[in-house]
Amino acid sequence: HCFSFPKVEDCHVLRYVSKEESGAKTSKLLVGGKNGSPFHKSESAMEIFREAGVPRKQKVTTFNVTDDAIIKPGTPLYAAHFRPGQFVDVTAKTIGKGFQGVMKRWGFKGQPASHGQTKTHRRPGAISTNKASKVYRGKKMPGKMGNIYRTSFGLKVWRINTKHDIIYVNGSVPGHTNCLVKVRDSKLPTYKECNKNPPFPTFFADGDEELPEDLYDEELFQFTDPSLTYT
Amino acid sequence: SYRICSDGKPAKFQPPPKPVIIDKQKQGEERRFLSPEFIPPRGRTDPLKFYIERKDMIQRRKVFNIPEFYVGHILAVTTADPHASEKSSRFVGICIQRGGKGLGATFILRNVIEDQGVEICYELYNPRIQAIEVLKLEKRLDDNLMYLRDALPEYSTFDVNMKPVSRLDHEEIPVNKLQVRMKPKPWSKRWERPKYNVKGIKFELPEEKMKEAQKWSQPWLEFDMLREYDTSKIEEKIWKEVNEELKK
Repeated sequence: HCFSFPKVEDCHVLRYVSKEESGAKTSKLLVGGKNGSPFHKSESAMEIFREAGVPRKQKVTTFNVTDDAIIKPGTPLYAAHFRPGQFVDVTAKTIGKGFQGVMKRWGFKGQPASHGQTKTHRRPGAISTNKASKVYRGKKMPGKMGNIYRTSFGLKVWRINTKHDIIYVNGSVPGHTNCLVKVRDSKLPTYKECNKNPPFPTFFADGDEELPEDLYDEELFQFTDPSLTYT
Repeated sequence: SYRICSDGKPAKFQPPPKPVIIDKQKQGEERRFLSPEFIPPRGRTDPLKFYIERKDMIQRRKVFNIPEFYVGHILAVTTADPHASEKSSRFVGICIQRGGKGLGATFILRNVIEDQGVEICYELYNPRIQAIEVLKLEKRLDDNLMYLRDALPEYSTFDVNMKPVSRLDHEEIPVNKLQVRMKPKPWSKRWERPKYNVKGIKFELPEEKMKEAQKWSQPWLEFDMLREYDTSKIEEKIWKEVNEELKK
């Protein structure tokens, strides 16, 4: 099995935007990510951090949240917010590849290498028909590839390390190593019932419940067990 | 009767010199072996990830003993197999290559069974492996014995029911300087080229071919500073860490 290890680094709730204020269906919570230096941003952006009483964050995202899950701005969020066995969607900016041709960007087949091709090996070929007499909007053409937000859906959480705040997630995740990532409960219909017993609204590290350092899923092999045998 | 030395005076009794006891156990302790999969590769990943992987690896080693072995040793591995009649299968072979880092570390065992060469790639930390026994210890001249695929099959055949060769615990691991004879060309890789740096083959090629192969040599590579990866300090730190955890 291949895993990805997103790490929860200094996440704080920044602001609560109610339904009426934003004009959307559900109320929103602004959450900030990794800590960064306070000198490279404008004053208006810094106001949000100052109100919440929190050091400046490098990434700010919004989560749509129901009314009974509202959290006070300024509370820290931990990896124990998720539990093993839950399903999760991970969003991140993909690796930027720069200006790329049509074969790499869209997977076109190109033209043969020999048999009389004059200077045409990786070109798109025809871009529209005769009757249309125009090129349709959204035609696949060369351009800047990567560095856009993409999500991988339905990833299972196998293991959580509470001491270092690491979530072990099944499969691969968009983005390069050490990039900033947004982890959210899955919105796929098959996993709607699986996410029913999480710490709600979130895991508060007040010391009420002491969690062990590592939380494993039941199907995962523990290294303290002896080797597997079949019967 | 006293001995009279050259001065003429009776010499005082000199006791014989004390015997020097060479403690072989202490000498053996000086030899350190850190499995190559503990050393993290060069890259931009967080060292925290390697630290946690190492903790997992040590956990597994506490439960299941992974012996010290190099490329060229002959090992017998028993794995749990749901499709075998006794639910476990045993394979004996010579270790050709050790690859991978961290929990995905692998080693390839090669043997020739009934005139068919068989290579199986096992993962060191696979929970299905039930036992690894070292049958014969010997280091070879190379780190990578892939050329055994193009060598005569007699160099890769090992008896499946071989008895483990006994060995004193603290001796140096013997280096087998065997020069292997190859099948006629073509080979799967051009082993005579200096890129592979193979020392264990007895090349029976004419001199012109050997000289032509030296055309592909890249003598500047050993002076390239960007390719240097000095692991001595990292190894020492990891060695101390691993030893402390294993003693607990």
